[in-house]
Amino acid sequence: MQAGTQSKEKSGWAWQKSLPLLGVSMGILLIIGPFMAGLVRSLLLWVADDPQVSLANYAWLFTDRRIQTAAINSLICGTGAMSISLVLGTSLAWIVSRTNVPGREIFKTLNLIPFFFSPYVGAIGWIFLVAPYSGLMQTTTATLFGGPVEGPNIYSLAGVIWILSLFYTPYVYLFVISPLQRMDAAFEDAARVHGAGFWTTVRLITLPLLQPGLLSAALIVFVTSAGLFDVPLALTATKGIRTMPTEVFALVRYPSDLGRAAAFGIFITAVTVALTLWQRAHLAKRRYEIVSGKGYKPRVIELRRSGKIIALTIEIIFLLTSVVLPVLALILVALSPLWTGKFNPANATLANFNYVLFEYSLTRQAIMNSLFLAVTGATIGVMISGLQSYYLVRVRSVFKSFVDALLALPLGIPGIVLSLFFLIFAIRTPLYGTLAILLIAYIARFFPFATRTITAMLSAIHPELEESARANGASWGQTMRMILLPLLRPALIAAWIMLFIIFIRELGASILLYASGTETISIAMLLLSENSVGYVAALALIQLVLLLIGFSLFRLTRAPVVQ
Amino acid sequence: MQGQGQPESFVTISGVTKKFGDFTALDALSFSVREGGTLALLGPSGCGKTTMLRCLAGLETPESGFISIAGKVVFDSAKGINLNPEERGLGVVFQSYAVWPHMSVVENVEFPLRVRGISKEERRARAMEILEIVGLGQYAQRSATQLSGGQQQRVALARALVHKPALVLFDEALSNLDAALREHMRLELKALQDKLGFTALYVTHDQGEALGLAETIILMNAGRIDTSGLARDVFMNHRTSFAALFFGLNVIEADKLPGMTGTKFIGFQREHAHLSSVTDSAAQNGDLIVPGRIATRSFQGLVDEYAIDLAEGVSIRVLDGQGQFSPGDQVHVRIKAGNLFRLND
Ligand SMILES: Nc1ncnc2c1ncn2[C@@H]1O[C@H](COP(=O)(O)OP(=O)(O)OP(=O)(O)O)[C@@H](O)[C@H]1O
Ligand SMILES: [Mg+2]
Repeated sequence: MQAGTQSKEKSGWAWQKSLPLLGVSMGILLIIGPFMAGLVRSLLLWVADDPQVSLANYAWLFTDRRIQTAAINSLICGTGAMSISLVLGTSLAWIVSRTNVPGREIFKTLNLIPFFFSPYVGAIGWIFLVAPYSGLMQTTTATLFGGPVEGPNIYSLAGVIWILSLFYTPYVYLFVISPLQRMDAAFEDAARVHGAGFWTTVRLITLPLLQPGLLSAALIVFVTSAGLFDVPLALTATKGIRTMPTEVFALVRYPSDLGRAAAFGIFITAVTVALTLWQRAHLAKRRYEIVSGKGYKPRVIELRRSGKIIALTIEIIFLLTSVVLPVLALILVALSPLWTGKFNPANATLANFNYVLFEYSLTRQAIMNSLFLAVTGATIGVMISGLQSYYLVRVRSVFKSFVDALLALPLGIPGIVLSLFFLIFAIRTPLYGTLAILLIAYIARFFPFATRTITAMLSAIHPELEESARANGASWGQTMRMILLPLLRPALIAAWIMLFIIFIRELGASILLYASGTETISIAMLLLSENSVGYVAALALIQLVLLLIGFSLFRLTRAPVVQ
Repeated sequence: MQGQGQPESFVTISGVTKKFGDFTALDALSFSVREGGTLALLGPSGCGKTTMLRCLAGLETPESGFISIAGKVVFDSAKGINLNPEERGLGVVFQSYAVWPHMSVVENVEFPLRVRGISKEERRARAMEILEIVGLGQYAQRSATQLSGGQQQRVALARALVHKPALVLFDEALSNLDAALREHMRLELKALQDKLGFTALYVTHDQGEALGLAETIILMNAGRIDTSGLARDVFMNHRTSFAALFFGLNVIEADKLPGMTGTKFIGFQREHAHLSSVTDSAAQNGDLIVPGRIATRSFQGLVDEYAIDLAEGVSIRVLDGQGQFSPGDQVHVRIKAGNLFRLND
């Protein structure tokens, strides 16, 4: 009896210690493993079939003009997208949280939709909209005004910035809307009564108080848009304009030089890690509370008629350009048997949908693959992340803040760089060309999103709830099963849906790792984009429907999108 | 109280009505303050004190009414005048202090001068001068987040005074401080006002704070003025049962007491009831004498507080220093005629 209880206690203790550590070690392995593979590969040079350790790849990196051009282009894209989405995202958040614009509650949700849509699909939609000669805008204006009005060229860095800004505006919006809503109104009131006008108050009080959120958002938007593969691929790669991620792709493909590609990947990783660490240190210094219990909720500003019109115009233009117009273009293209730049309702057909869903084996397989990857990946990802969150919140350890920083690193590393490292790691193993390697790369790149969501909720659950179960005789396993998991369920579901959405649309992490038979939806769109736009549009819409389902389910969980 | 024409009226509020949806927070409120005077808006939570202060500051827009400050009309619904908060030239100490966390102490304090375009040297000098006065000179370079509650409040005070506003508004200026600090700050505020000569309007739910700070008091009840007058008068002479209850008096329906006619309620201070076990020989004509039974007794320092059930099923509270009664004792309660307030509502 005595021995029995003791061993039960012991094994409970063992699980309690080892399971969270398992989650943490898997996370660390998923980061360090591919990174080491990339680092080693970048230091190797084959001289007549003989590998030698050398810095030649790095030397090349810092002298090659192509790399410099790509770096500058990425810098332009990142800075441009960051600036526009900072202005747009902050304005939108301010409009819906601080003014009486009509429909503000609906806009609060609608503004989030682009966050769940795929920038790649957005880029394709915009090509259909404004491509020279064949874009809907050109053909429509040609009919209306007797000659096409050529808009700005979408196949340019400006086009890339435009698409990235639309899709990353919700990031900024999410980061600032909550402080804007909760900020003690007295901070702004105090400025007004002591002599500052409205704009002076915005400049000297509101924006500085939002600075931590703005800085986090700026960094995420900068790093993600500089490292995003899909949009430059769709818009500028064929025009010979490359950014860092498309350059990495080119280095792997034409001609293949994994050593140089790895060196480039390590360099990109080093830069993003440095930026992330700098931001962590900076934010740690300015963590002040802008919410005081006693204050009033911020005043809703009564807009005058002109103000309402301006606010509504900004809202509507944003939603039109980021969602409505590109989706409309996709629908028209998908319904046309042969796309000529004009939609003829008489010829409308569902043939494209029928073909990609049921007849064409590539697309059918791609849809199945994407669903499999999203469901399996989200499930495994949430399991690993849940264990990590338990470690980060509940386990006492001196390494915690280090582990926390380490596990957040993939957030900044471009998907194509991480998958390059996985490619190097797996190329000579049976893993290469399987769905498993895609699955591993997806999880490695995106588990931090889930960990953040779950950690935020777990921190809000008081440990006494579990302790009282333990005190009442429940084992650790029982406590987890009967107390903690049910309490955490909303966060687990939200994290699962978040990963599902990301995996359904993922392209950058797949492009180097897919093989014949393991194409995903986004890959299939890419493969078909040259010749069959109708299939591409149909496939894009099917992907959007999956994302929209995910988005609706996510809203039902009422989970905040960003912590 | 239609003070528009009164020469000595420095701040004039006339017929100010403020609604939140269907709820009337201020109901045609009118009062005035003389130049250099101090007025306290006193009342229970939710009676509209802060709303009145915010209307004065321009942070809320009333539905109707007229407000002028230092001879300048800042709000007039009839003429469509509504000055922005920054155009009213006030100083305000907020209940939550609203000390900006992204600025140092001295940056907080010089803000009103900064937005008035005053040169860097001059505003630094003036901010330091006022910081010395509130006793925070050595904290000037600190980040505002590193201050205690009392220190933050001094920063808020310095910020409200640095640009020498003619009128300073205080929302629950002292309520967040502990008792000792509150007393200290109260004296300091009075000294500051003597020195700088601003007109002050205090908003508070604490009678001690109102009495200690203000020469005139307006007691508010549900968006209206219940009683107003000199502080001492409002505190000593009660005319409404609301005021009597607010100041902690016993209030009893007159028809439940012997010989009390011509009024609806009778009020008296807890200190003014005299307890005795036999009929009080000192009783004089007009005194109220009622029998009762001691229900509870609690120790309150120098005196005991008794809860006493009167014969008619009415309960009162009495403070008495003699200490010879225990629960269950039958007593006679006597209140001198001069200490009885006839309350007409
Ligand atoms: N923005 C608002 N919207 C709706 N109702 C409000 C608003 N501001 C105040 N009120 C209501 O108006 C009434 C008066 O509020 P006010 O803040 O002026 O009270 P107060 O006298 O300052 O109370 P306290 O002593 O608690 O600070 C309250 O019932 C409050 O709920
Ligand atoms: Mg108040």
